[in-house]
Amino acid sequence: MVGRVKLAGLIAALLVILLPSFTLAQDVNFSVAPAEVHIDNLPLGEAAEFELTIHNKDEIAHVFTFTIFQPPEEDRRKGRTEFPDDSWISFSSQEIEVAANYEANVTVTVAIPREQEWAGEDWETWLGVAAESSDLLGVKLYVRLLVSTNSAMGARSNAGLVIGIVVGIVLLGYGGYYYFRRKAKPE
Amino acid sequence: MKAAVTSIGVAIILALIFSLPALAQDSGTITITMTGVNEISISLDKTQWPLGAVAADTEQTTSPPIEWCTLTVEGNCNVKTRILGEDARWYKDGVAQNYYWTLSNTNESDISDSVRGHKYMLWFRVRGDNPPDGRGYVLITKEPSEFWPPPSGGSSLAPGDTKQFGLKLLTPTYFVGGRQMQTQITISAVAA
Repeated sequence: MVGRVKLAGLIAALLVILLPSFTLAQDVNFSVAPAEVHIDNLPLGEAAEFELTIHNKDEIAHVFTFTIFQPPEEDRRKGRTEFPDDSWISFSSQEIEVAANYEANVTVTVAIPREQEWAGEDWETWLGVAAESSDLLGVKLYVRLLVSTNSAMGARSNAGLVIGIVVGIVLLGYGGYYYFRRKAKPE
Repeated sequence: MKAAVTSIGVAIILALIFSLPALAQDSGTITITMTGVNEISISLDKTQWPLGAVAADTEQTTSPPIEWCTLTVEGNCNVKTRILGEDARWYKDGVAQNYYWTLSNTNESDISDSVRGHKYMLWFRVRGDNPPDGRGYVLITKEPSEFWPPPSGGSSLAPGDTKQFGLKLLTPTYFVGGRQMQTQITISAVAA
């Protein structure tokens, strides 16, 4: 059986196989800034935005694509845990064409749901930027995104506000009633 | 009269005590920091390896074997780099077709020719990373693995640092001939 496979391999060897394409060799050179982003005190239910700048240092235009990657624990910063849901991060565009020797920005939005279980967390995820290419070698640059959420939930704060107002109204009402009752009393 | 004024005052104070923290919370600032170094970049001086016609079950090595391509850290931050490969795919007139060579995740010595079939293998070797202390040729798989520094430890690459490396490919023991196969090896970088 092994002999037959080898014979088939020899027959295949007579045919033309090309790997990869014929196009001329090029280098690849681009940068992404910033390399690391910290978002601190992000309230639950709210969103934070920042910009990534992609600088195409090549002599030809490139289309850059954006991805989200969950790094393994050993590659994360100390004390950081896995970002729970990639869908909480969005790019203003999933790809962007950048002319030769030009820069372009993409806006990244991070929005955390308003749920108590996400309060007081320290997460890390990586944002990948790659130039689309059919070349054998490609480069992908990762931006570290470190997100810390508020320890208190917004809803609890609003509850405090409501309680404060209700107590205030009750006491004001009581005070007003007491005052006018005293005033109305004949001397 | 005195009691009424006092109770109104107490009411206002209590309302403020309860509501001020809440109001402060709503107007709290989200801090976004672009810390430390601000640009990440690596460059490769070569991205293509046109092999032409290849035979089954043969090794192809870049020329020169180890100094074929130079990776340079262009940004202003130290980086860790990783490498991963993918299956090679048949392209006909630039259009992807449903025929692959599967990238093997196992070293050649571990599998027989009959099992290998349409599987092909890729390795990289970094100049100066030689056995017995270094790695020599390292298998490229579909899972990202350390390009530099190696898993055994070592310094991350600093701005201006370069690493020369080469590639080796072992073609499948059997494949359908006359087809243009294309694959991609991705080298990634992240701030160290």
